[in-house]
Amino acid sequence: MPVVKAVTCPVCGSLCDDIELTVENNNIVKVKNGCAMCESKFLGYNSEHRVLRPLIRKNGKLIETSFEEAIRNAAKILTEANYPILYGWSSTSCEAIRVGLELAEEVGGVIDNTAVVCHGPSLLSVQEVGIPSCTLGQIRHRADLIIYWGSNPWSAHPRHIERYTTYAEGRFEKSAWKGYLNKIKALLAKKKIESSIRRLFLKKKPTVHESISKEPPETLSRKGRKFIVVDVRKTKTAEMADYFIQVEPNKDYELLQALRALVRDEEIDVDKVAGVPIECLEEVVDVMVNCSFGALFFGLGLTMSKGKLRNIDTALSLIKDLNMRTKFVLMPMRGHFNVTGANTVFTWQTGYPYAVDFSLGYPRYNPGETTVVDILLRRESDAALVIASDPVANFPTKTVEHLVKNPLIVIDPHMNVTSHMADVVIPSAFVGIEAEGTAYRMDHVPLPLKKIVEPPNGIHSDEEILRRILAEVRKIKNKNEEEA
Amino acid sequence: MITLYPLKEFKHPIIAESINPEFFQGKSIQEIGSLKIWEGNKERKLRELFKIEEDKADNPTITIHGNIGKVRKIGKKMEKGEITIYGNVGMHLGEEMKGGKITVHGNADSWVGSMMKGGTIEIHGDAGDYLGAPYRGSNEGMHGGKIIVHGNVRSEAGAHMRKGIIKIYGNASQFAGFRMRGGTIYIQKDAEERVGACMSDGKIVICGFLKSVLPTFTIEGIKKKVKIEEDEKAVGPFYLFRGDLTEKGEGKLYVSKEKNPHLSYYEKFL
Repeated sequence: MPVVKAVTCPVCGSLCDDIELTVENNNIVKVKNGCAMCESKFLGYNSEHRVLRPLIRKNGKLIETSFEEAIRNAAKILTEANYPILYGWSSTSCEAIRVGLELAEEVGGVIDNTAVVCHGPSLLSVQEVGIPSCTLGQIRHRADLIIYWGSNPWSAHPRHIERYTTYAEGRFEKSAWKGYLNKIKALLAKKKIESSIRRLFLKKKPTVHESISKEPPETLSRKGRKFIVVDVRKTKTAEMADYFIQVEPNKDYELLQALRALVRDEEIDVDKVAGVPIECLEEVVDVMVNCSFGALFFGLGLTMSKGKLRNIDTALSLIKDLNMRTKFVLMPMRGHFNVTGANTVFTWQTGYPYAVDFSLGYPRYNPGETTVVDILLRRESDAALVIASDPVANFPTKTVEHLVKNPLIVIDPHMNVTSHMADVVIPSAFVGIEAEGTAYRMDHVPLPLKKIVEPPNGIHSDEEILRRILAEVRKIKNKNEEEA
Repeated sequence: MITLYPLKEFKHPIIAESINPEFFQGKSIQEIGSLKIWEGNKERKLRELFKIEEDKADNPTITIHGNIGKVRKIGKKMEKGEITIYGNVGMHLGEEMKGGKITVHGNADSWVGSMMKGGTIEIHGDAGDYLGAPYRGSNEGMHGGKIIVHGNVRSEAGAHMRKGIIKIYGNASQFAGFRMRGGTIYIQKDAEERVGACMSDGKIVICGFLKSVLPTFTIEGIKKKVKIEEDEKAVGPFYLFRGDLTEKGEGKLYVSKEKNPHLSYYEKFL
C-alpha cells in the first residue's frame, strides 16, 4: 500500500508536518505520528455529514441543484447586497483567501476571519506595542524557560510541547521528558501512599487543593529546561509543569503588571496580586530574568478574559522589559490551522490582518466597528458568505439571529449548523486532504498542504468555487453597467 | 442655519464626513443636498437620506433632529461652527476636531472626539468606548479641547491622552486613562478597575467608588482639594497615588477617601 510521507496536518495551529498516511483505493486507512485530533480528521473526514451536491433554499426547504445554479445564486446575493459580510477563512488555504479578498473588494463588503473571536486582541496589541518573536525551531533548540499562559496545549495543541518546547530534544537544550516521567511516577507513588494512609485512618477527610499557589518548588532553580504554567484552573498541562501559578479569574492584567514592576525592580505596596503572594512572583521573576532564552505562549485564557487586548498589551510590554535583561520571546497559540495564514494574506493584500471593510471602495479597518460580530450585533449587514467556519454554532445568539435573517451562502465540506440555516450551500473539497494549498504555522512559517486523495465527483476546491463566484459577480456587474 | 431630518431609519452604516459646518457654509440648499455621503457600499447624495431645511440666519450651525445612531464621522476635522443633535449619534463624532462645538441631546457611540485637538463636545446622555482615544494602532490620543459627558462612559476613556480635559459626570468603565501622557480626566461617580493603567503623566480624579488600584501604583499622600480646571476644584479629601511604575510613573491618580474606606490599607505607607 502506498505511504505518503511528510504530510502537513490541517487541524491546529501547530501544523505538524511529519505525518505519514497509508492510502488504499483513494482512502486513507492509517495515520502515523499524528495526535488524536489529526487521526480523527484524516480517518473521519468522509463521514455521513458530508454534502456532495450544492443546495439552495426554495419554499423554505434546502433542495439539490446544479453547481452553476448555486454559483449564480451566490453571486446574485452578493451583488445585490448593500453591506455584505464574508466570514471564515481560517480553515482554508492562502490561495483561497486571496481570491476571497478580491471578491470582497468587488462586492464592497466586509471581510473578516475567525481571529475576531480568538486572537484579534493579540493583533491589536501587536500593532501598538510590537512583538518580539521567533520561529518554533529556535525555541525547540534554544529555549530554557517555557511559559504557557491561559492555554492548555496538552488538549488543544497536543504535539506542541513534544515537538517544539519542553519535551522536544533540542540541539542546545535537552528534552525534559525524563524528568516528567519521574515526576509522574513520584506522583503516583504519593497518591498510593495517601490512599493507604486514608484507609488506615478512615476518619481523616481527603485534602482539598489549595486555591492559592504554593511556594515555587526547588526544581525551578535547577539547570535545564523549566516549564511554568499560568492558568485559572489546574489543567493537564499545568499538572506537567514545574510550577503552576493559579491566577484569580479576570486578574491576569494585574498579575502581568506586577511581574513587569518586579522585572523593573520596583517595590509593590500590596502583599498579594491576583491571589498570588508577592514572594512567589519574585521567585518567578528571578527565574525569568536568569534564563538565557525564555518563551511565553499565550492562549484565549488571556485574549478573551477581562481586559482582552490590554492583557496582551501588558504581556508584550513584559517581554519588552525582560529583553532589557535577557532574551525573551512571545507567541500566540493560534487555533485554526491557517488562521495565521488568513492574517498574513489579509495583511499583504490590504494592510490589515482582519475586519477589513471595502464598502467605501478602499480597505478600512477598525475592530469594534468593522468586525463581523459587532456588525451583526448592530444588525447592519444584509447578506453573508461563510466559508470554512460555523458561526451559527459559536457566535452569540443575538448575532446569529441577524445572520440567518438575511441571505446566507455557505461554502463548507460538511453540513454544519450554519449550512442548515443557509440559502445556498456549496460543498467543497477538504484542503490538505483533497486539495493542495499553503498554510501558515503559528510562528508565520508557510507550509505546503498536500492533496492525498481525489475529491468526490463534482466537488471543487474553495479556491475554484470562489473564482467562479467572482467571475459571475463581475459578469452581473458588467451587465448592470451596460444597462445603466 | 441648516436643519437636517433623517428620511428613514438607517440600516447600514452611513459615513457622513460631509456633515460639517464649514462644508455647508456659503452653499445653497441645492448644493448642500448634493454633498456626497455613503450608505453601506453605495454612494448617495445628502438629500437622498436627509430632509434639509434652511433658516435665513447666516451662522454656521447645523441642527439634526432624529436618531442617527448609524451615522458616523459627523463633524470630522471641524474647525468652527456648531452642530447640535437631538437624538442618538453614531461613531467617530468630531474625529480630529480642531474647534467649534458639538452638543448631543442623546447618547453617542464609540470614539467620540477621537484624536481631538480643540473645541468642545458635550454629550447629555451616555458615550461609548474609546472616548477621545485614537484609531487602532495609533498612540496619538487627544491633543486638546474639552469633552463633557453627563451620563456614563464605557471602557478606555481618554486612552493615550496628551492634553485637554475629559469630564464624566456618570460612571466610567475599565481602563480610563490608559497609557495617558497628559491632560485631566475627571470622573464624578464610580470607576471600574485598572484606571490609569500604563499612564506616564497626567491627572485622573475619581470622586466615587474604585474597587482597587493597580499594584503598580504607589501612595504619595492625602490631598484636600484637586484642581480640575482654571476655576474649578474638586473637594476631597483624596488619596493621591503615583504611577504607573511600569512606565515613567509620573501620572497622578486622585481617589476619594470618603467613598473608598477599603483603600485605607495604603495609609500605613504614609
